[in-house]
Amino acid sequence: MQWYVIFKKEILENWRNMKWIWVPIVFILFAVMDPITTYYLPKIMDAVGGIPEGAVVDIPMPNANEAILMSFNELGLLGVLITVVIAMGVISGEMKSGVYELILSKPVKYTNYVSAKFMSLALIVFLSIFLAVVAGWYYVSLLFGSIDFTKILTSILFFSLYFALIIGIVIMVNTWVQSPGVVAFLSLIIIIALNVLTSIYGHIFTWSPALIGDYIGEYLHSGVLSTEIWYSALMAVIFTFACIQFAILTLKNRALQ
Amino acid sequence: MLINQDLILLLLPVLILQLILLVIAIIDLIRIEKANGPKWVWALVIIFINIIGPIVYFIFGRRP
Repeated sequence: MQWYVIFKKEILENWRNMKWIWVPIVFILFAVMDPITTYYLPKIMDAVGGIPEGAVVDIPMPNANEAILMSFNELGLLGVLITVVIAMGVISGEMKSGVYELILSKPVKYTNYVSAKFMSLALIVFLSIFLAVVAGWYYVSLLFGSIDFTKILTSILFFSLYFALIIGIVIMVNTWVQSPGVVAFLSLIIIIALNVLTSIYGHIFTWSPALIGDYIGEYLHSGVLSTEIWYSALMAVIFTFACIQFAILTLKNRALQ
Repeated sequence: MLINQDLILLLLPVLILQLILLVIAIIDLIRIEKANGPKWVWALVIIFINIIGPIVYFIFGRRP
């Protein structure tokens, strides 16, 4: 009950500061841009000119799977960036402005407070990813060729788990410092470290959540869900829970001091 | 020909989304009491910088 009250307050706030509108639109634009520009690149080059007479520019046209992977990659970069930015002030900003004390002067459980914040953010981001990938799929189907929609849905589900982890990390960092800018900076460092470590030791950490994007590529290509993608998804869920628990613990300890 | 009807029809949804983004950024800018910096600068940023302008406004322009 209490959880629902905080959750509703968060949803309302995100509605007032327009996150419900601009985040999905921005995600859709990110996902759609790459397939379209790739498709029209040869024509753009023709129109702009500057290529010497007789030179043959042969840019290989990607197939449908490669094209939709471009959308996923774009979301994996810029989408993550936007996610970090919209989550950076979610607790730290309230601590700074004093709203945090106001809320917790009432008997509000930390678990409810943190998890409601997490869910409200996750809802926006999941919706945005869904709309973005479906929009990307629409353009890829028009320009490159058809892809099975169930494949896309499955990919979206796994991809969302990666984003849940991102939100978890940002919320955890939120409880450490009070400046939203520093939160974004630290979160990005953690996320980049996760990705760098994974790309170096990828053969050992085959369960790393940062590999979900790669496994989605394999899945789209082969149509078979590998065991690794399940492990990665499981680890993403576990890490997300750990981050949230850690955030709750940090807040509790701060209250005791 | 680069610009033909097919291309315009294809890009129409993207253009509409861009327009919505621009319009809600402007509406938000008018509605909030104080922006992070002069409002007219933000208005210029939103209108003249494609896609990035409204995003930057929503991230940095509206600090409580």
